[in-house]
Amino acid sequence: MIQRLLPFFTLFGLFVILAVASPDHFLTKTNLSSVVRQTAVINLMALGMTLVIVAGGIDLSVGSILAMGGLLGTMVMKENPIWLGVMTGILAGGLCGLANGLLTTQLRINPFIVTLGTLGIFRGVTLIISNGLPVHEIPQAFSYLGEGNLLGVPFVLWVLVACAASVHIVLEHTRLGRYTFSIGSNEAAAFYTGIPVSFHTTAVYAICGALTGLGGMIEASRLMTGQPTAGQGYELQAIAAVVIGGGSLRGGEGSVVGTLIGAFIMGLLANGSDLLGISPYVQQAIIGAVIILAVSFDEFSKRKMTR
Amino acid sequence: MLLELKGIQKRFGGVTALRNGNLSVDGGEVHLLLGENGAGKSTMMKIVAGMQPADSGDILWKGGRVSFSKPADASAMGIAMVHQESLLAPHLTVAENIYLGREPRLPLGWVNRSRMLADARRLIEEQHFPLDAGWRVEKLSPAGKQLVEICRAIAHGSSLLIFDEPTSSLSMHEAKEVFRIVKTLRERKMGVIYITHRLEELRTVGDRVTILRDGETVHSCRLDEISNERIIQHMVGRELGAMYRREPVPPGEELLRAEGLTRKPAFENITFSVRAGEIVGMAGLIGAGRTELCRALFGLDELDSGAVKLAGKPAVVHSPRDAVEAGIALIPEDRQHTGLATLLPIGYNLTVADIGKVCRMGWFLDPKKEKAVTGEYIRRLRIKCESPKQLAGRLSGGNQQKVVIAKWLVRGASVFLFDEPTRGIDVGAKVEVYEVMDELARGGAAILMVSSELPELLQVADRILVMRQGKLTGELPGRTTQEEIMTLATLQGGGALLGEKE
Repeated sequence: MIQRLLPFFTLFGLFVILAVASPDHFLTKTNLSSVVRQTAVINLMALGMTLVIVAGGIDLSVGSILAMGGLLGTMVMKENPIWLGVMTGILAGGLCGLANGLLTTQLRINPFIVTLGTLGIFRGVTLIISNGLPVHEIPQAFSYLGEGNLLGVPFVLWVLVACAASVHIVLEHTRLGRYTFSIGSNEAAAFYTGIPVSFHTTAVYAICGALTGLGGMIEASRLMTGQPTAGQGYELQAIAAVVIGGGSLRGGEGSVVGTLIGAFIMGLLANGSDLLGISPYVQQAIIGAVIILAVSFDEFSKRKMTR
Repeated sequence: MLLELKGIQKRFGGVTALRNGNLSVDGGEVHLLLGENGAGKSTMMKIVAGMQPADSGDILWKGGRVSFSKPADASAMGIAMVHQESLLAPHLTVAENIYLGREPRLPLGWVNRSRMLADARRLIEEQHFPLDAGWRVEKLSPAGKQLVEICRAIAHGSSLLIFDEPTSSLSMHEAKEVFRIVKTLRERKMGVIYITHRLEELRTVGDRVTILRDGETVHSCRLDEISNERIIQHMVGRELGAMYRREPVPPGEELLRAEGLTRKPAFENITFSVRAGEIVGMAGLIGAGRTELCRALFGLDELDSGAVKLAGKPAVVHSPRDAVEAGIALIPEDRQHTGLATLLPIGYNLTVADIGKVCRMGWFLDPKKEKAVTGEYIRRLRIKCESPKQLAGRLSGGNQQKVVIAKWLVRGASVFLFDEPTRGIDVGAKVEVYEVMDELARGGAAILMVSSELPELLQVADRILVMRQGKLTGELPGRTTQEEIMTLATLQGGGALLGEKE
């Protein structure tokens, strides 16, 4: 039980510490809104990554998918309605994820290798399409997605809550979620049970891609450009969020709530370091240490439970 | 005394694995360590081998108190362990594995390969083992790997060797080879601790016996002073009823028919049928092609030729999915790897083969239906668990097997392929598995039961098919004898140690 609650207490503790250490700056609406906006993109990617990791896979290409989605979405948006652009971004991400899933299941290559390859391919294609140049002069109204407010809170918070709720329902209350756990926990047993392993594995990668595509649109909306170089290194942050939240790279373990907490722990660490004047160099090291601490505690308590 | 354990205790979190472990082993003695799964045998041996520290109690080695904090401490004293699942480096050669960590050196720390190879060859020759020092370990059968571990123990000058269920994965011929080796070790005045689940092999190897139950040493004596019945009583702590024997029921329609099934080189021209209500046994040595036949029937491997009919209709089975759709169920021999998701709850495992049954609109899980279904099957198969949320891996072997069977019952399968249904299951729990199989058959299922344990085939099967080297060599009635089965299963005895792996 403690093992489950630790990430939550860490987040809560962090919140209290920051509230005490920097009451004037931390507990302001502007600051908390900006934490939400900053972490929304990683959060969305991490939601998709949770599915992939529970299924026993990994997706290193999400940073590149983010850039591809953002770029294609903004390009479409220049001459079409905004919603069509956003849909394009999500669809492009979904297709990239589908490709990852098909390559992994059909060629039977380790997903680490497949997505290491597509990390390069998707980034390369994005750079080729854009000729390396960012997309400018996007419709002004598009900034609402990343920067607007609805009912007094950032619009992205609503998007995030909706996506998190959906992924949670998929993972815990649907056939797909149950199969995802089965495949991640013991793929051979799942296959021997007659579960369509390839189909469901591919679906999970596609969903991860689509969520990342949406993340790409939010990123583009915040920057008001479609950056072909966006999202570099985000994949590691997304994976870290899942792992801090109790996901296991061996598969079969992970939860949406855990992942959200993991992403917010990292978000608060970054925000708090800024507020307290800790240099971004030190920040990186702190986040790294938190990852190791979280996982080692997780492993330790599991080892104690099982013989 | 070579080794003495006094009042050893070991807890893991809230679970007491050993509460009072006592054992004494002398040089030149083969000491059997018996007990049901979870009785604490493995924990006790891990403590002796330095893999885990004891919480309290004394370990005496040649009369002096010792404590081991890591395997290297125990190995330095002369204690070695032959593991159930090989701990060798598969990509290295036999010689490299024997001298792993103690390679003969040249100046500057270079490994003296030629000397290592020569030393290993001499050692193997002294033991008369059918091995070559240059072979890569991954190509060896389980028995061959055990020989390498034994060589390693001898090369390191060990004086106590622990065998953890050495014959559980071996054919009869290979097992005999292990017995021979154990005897030569005894002649060399080495002490041997031998853990086993198979009562029938006790008498061939042991001198003395120690029985553990619930983490406690309950009995220790010379083997010739105790009967098998008494041993079982000590193990389970109660009187076992008369030996289980299934009453056959009149068979119904033919549910499974195999005609000329061939998949070279595993098996060839196999024809048989199983009717509703029947349990058909399948005997043979390891490597006879029985597991391969089950795999092909279940769509895991393609057939070269032959036809399968289910309830009279031709069936096309190219994948486990096809098999499951057609009503075939496989209860595989390695539960942990292909039967169960041990890290997921029991409930997940029960419903996974037919999840549509507990869903609304085919997609959304209905907690009420799920609770009802899991509850029903936990009751029906008498699965001993705290709740459906308990992880499947934390159940005993017998109950894990029941979960695998229940999974197929939920699915409503009609043809069951049992591959070694009671492997690694306690004596007491085996009967429960037989009872479940009997109930299945009475409910109209057709059962094919592959087993290497002849007594259980005689107890459970209505008739017994025998395979040898990929061919069906005969069919015997259920009330036959072990000798008749063995005659059909072996002609020139078993195969070589290399490449006999199933």
